[in-house]
Amino acid sequence: MYQALLTRRYLTSKLMPLLAALAVVLCTAMVLVVWSVMGGFLGMLLDTGRLLVGDVEITRPVTGMPYYEELIERLEADPEIKAATATVEGLALMGLEDGRTMAVKVIGVDGKGYDAVTGYGDTLWWRHLDQPNKKDVSREDLRLQLEPGYEDAGLMLTENNPFTGEPVAAAVPGIEATGETSRQTGGWYQSAYTEGLGVTLRRSESGDRWVMQSDGREYVIDKLPFTIDQSITLSMLPISGRGAAIDVQVRKIPIANEFRTGLYEVDQGIVLVRMDLVQEMLKLDRAVRVADSFSSGVTTNDDGSESFAEPEIIGEEPARATSVLIKGAPGVTDQRVKERCVAIYAQFFEAHPFEVPSPGQVRIDKWDERPSVAHLIGAVKTETSLVLALFGFISLTAVFLVFAIFWAMVSEKTKDIGILRSVGASRSGVGMIFISYGLVIGLVGAVLGVALAFLIVHNINPIHEWIGQVTGRYVWDPKVYYFTVIPNKVVLWQAALILVGGAVFSVLGSILPAAKAANMDPVRALRFE
Amino acid sequence: MPILEARSLSRTYRLGKVDVPVLRDLSLSVAEGEWLAILGASGSGKSTLLHLLGGLDRPDRNRSNPQAGVYFDGAPLAGKSRRDLDRHRARDFGFVFQFYHLLPELTALQNVTVASMVRLGLGYAGRSREVRKVAEELLDRFGLSGRLGHRPAELSGGERQRVAIARALVNEPRVLLADEPTGNLDRATGQGILDTISDLHRDKRQTIVMVTHDPYVADRADRALRLVDGVLADNREESAPMTPVLQG
Repeated sequence: MYQALLTRRYLTSKLMPLLAALAVVLCTAMVLVVWSVMGGFLGMLLDTGRLLVGDVEITRPVTGMPYYEELIERLEADPEIKAATATVEGLALMGLEDGRTMAVKVIGVDGKGYDAVTGYGDTLWWRHLDQPNKKDVSREDLRLQLEPGYEDAGLMLTENNPFTGEPVAAAVPGIEATGETSRQTGGWYQSAYTEGLGVTLRRSESGDRWVMQSDGREYVIDKLPFTIDQSITLSMLPISGRGAAIDVQVRKIPIANEFRTGLYEVDQGIVLVRMDLVQEMLKLDRAVRVADSFSSGVTTNDDGSESFAEPEIIGEEPARATSVLIKGAPGVTDQRVKERCVAIYAQFFEAHPFEVPSPGQVRIDKWDERPSVAHLIGAVKTETSLVLALFGFISLTAVFLVFAIFWAMVSEKTKDIGILRSVGASRSGVGMIFISYGLVIGLVGAVLGVALAFLIVHNINPIHEWIGQVTGRYVWDPKVYYFTVIPNKVVLWQAALILVGGAVFSVLGSILPAAKAANMDPVRALRFE
Repeated sequence: MPILEARSLSRTYRLGKVDVPVLRDLSLSVAEGEWLAILGASGSGKSTLLHLLGGLDRPDRNRSNPQAGVYFDGAPLAGKSRRDLDRHRARDFGFVFQFYHLLPELTALQNVTVASMVRLGLGYAGRSREVRKVAEELLDRFGLSGRLGHRPAELSGGERQRVAIARALVNEPRVLLADEPTGNLDRATGQGILDTISDLHRDKRQTIVMVTHDPYVADRADRALRLVDGVLADNREESAPMTPVLQG
């Protein structure tokens, strides 16, 4: 009882312990803010990293897997698998209309199937928008001008040839890939050529042309000055099973749309193209095999006449896919889906021995095991724990601060300790004064610190905006951190852990001073001047 | 049977590498209801004696005399555990010191009730009202009813000492142990404090052991002993109570 009374009295009459509480406030707030932002960043990365890849992937690069349609059927027959789709991957040089060239990864996909597995449809950027986003006060977002329908072409990766009206295979590059649009801090994209020039674009009355407005003058243009009305030229190099290049395949492909996952690596380096076209370019499409012995196109018949010989067809090479992406049924863990895929692939191999790659020749990875994703996520995970460890270390100073302040207080309160012992207080009772004092300081500090962290994290985007305006420097550059907003959620269990941690640290700091107080000889304490 | 008895008490302090004997083979006894004064110059060991009697300190181990030690109600303190000694101090003894020794952060009233809190532990919660009433009555009796909410720093020396006496009495101890209670006060205030103690002794038959260097203070006691260099100088007075030792 007297411990409670004295703790309260010491707390309200001394400045030093309040400084200790303040240190606890700052340390807990700091750690929780860092944890929330970095953890939130990692969470966003994990969410978006999952886009376009499905849950599990079966891969056989370069030479691919034949009979993939049958594999997909087998996979989709499993109740624990929701959908599966094939893709063909290869590297390409992408040429733009203005002559720039860059290396990209081309993924041939079947739009609808790909959407069913990866949610690809939702990542298509150019689509009609009714309302601008909150930051777009001047309605600069071009999507507000677009009529509905753009996303359909993107989903099917097919566009109608403007001259013949025939549907042709189209491409959907990642939105950062061509560099013809640039992201605005508000989160939308603007033509890189007109950015900052105060140019606005709108549809012409007839609907088939664009009106560009600048300095009060209007220009009517046929095509948008950037990506979605243009074409790209893809050069791909089919590779033989032995790794030798065969011959370069070049196609000019219209751009149907652009996709945006929010993950810069993906949005900058990947171009999606309709699968049959990529198979054809990489020579992975269906082909007939002819007899090797066939040497000349002309044979002399018995009657002396000559005729063109038909090559002897000895077999047919089925089309191939380099990957099959799988999405698990709701509630099934990725690990379980992977196990099912391994089992199903083994059955598939048994059905086609030596025609399809053996189970040892294919990789079956969960999405986060894919080398490219695992690398990025691993890096962010490491960074998060590194920063947390650093700040945790810094927070240890709070322990020493409490320790130092309490040690001084025990010295200052030596006489009080002697007095309490003389009226019968036990050693442990006296020690408990300082332990409970440390606990109260830790709890008060941690509660205030967590509250402060909640305030900061909750308002981190406005705060960041404000700092940017004042200093002219935006710390969270969307171009570096992939995302346009800073994560602003505090995870409750993390807050609770830090609250408990703050209290525990303070108690730790008070243990030695408390022991010193408990072990004090009451007679000496009373004589202490 | 004496309420408090010291048998062959010795106490040595170690100062660096030198043993300094403070009390040497000292014996005395205090009867219930008696006011005993122990007169001694500073450094004669009188405070040490008081601490030993009140169980705040332990005497040297005496190998030649296993009976040596402090006895309370005939029972030796030596065999008691630390916890029992703590309880003993809370229940049976009340200490009053020369420099009052009040807790500076607490009010006068809290300085008194804190002794009850220590004694009752968690049990205080249910009896706080009762304890508060006892404390208020004590402070009222000592003329401090208007000072309950004052901090020690806001009280005069005499008032502080009265608060300290109230704290020593709040648990109704069997023995009041007073260490130079007037030593830090001017004569008039000191007389007032002595009157307070004297009234207590008269009205409640409170057993009091008081150490002092001041013969006039010792004068007020039933009996006085003189402590010189850790030994009681003259035991004759033990058989002749009420005869104060006045010669310096």
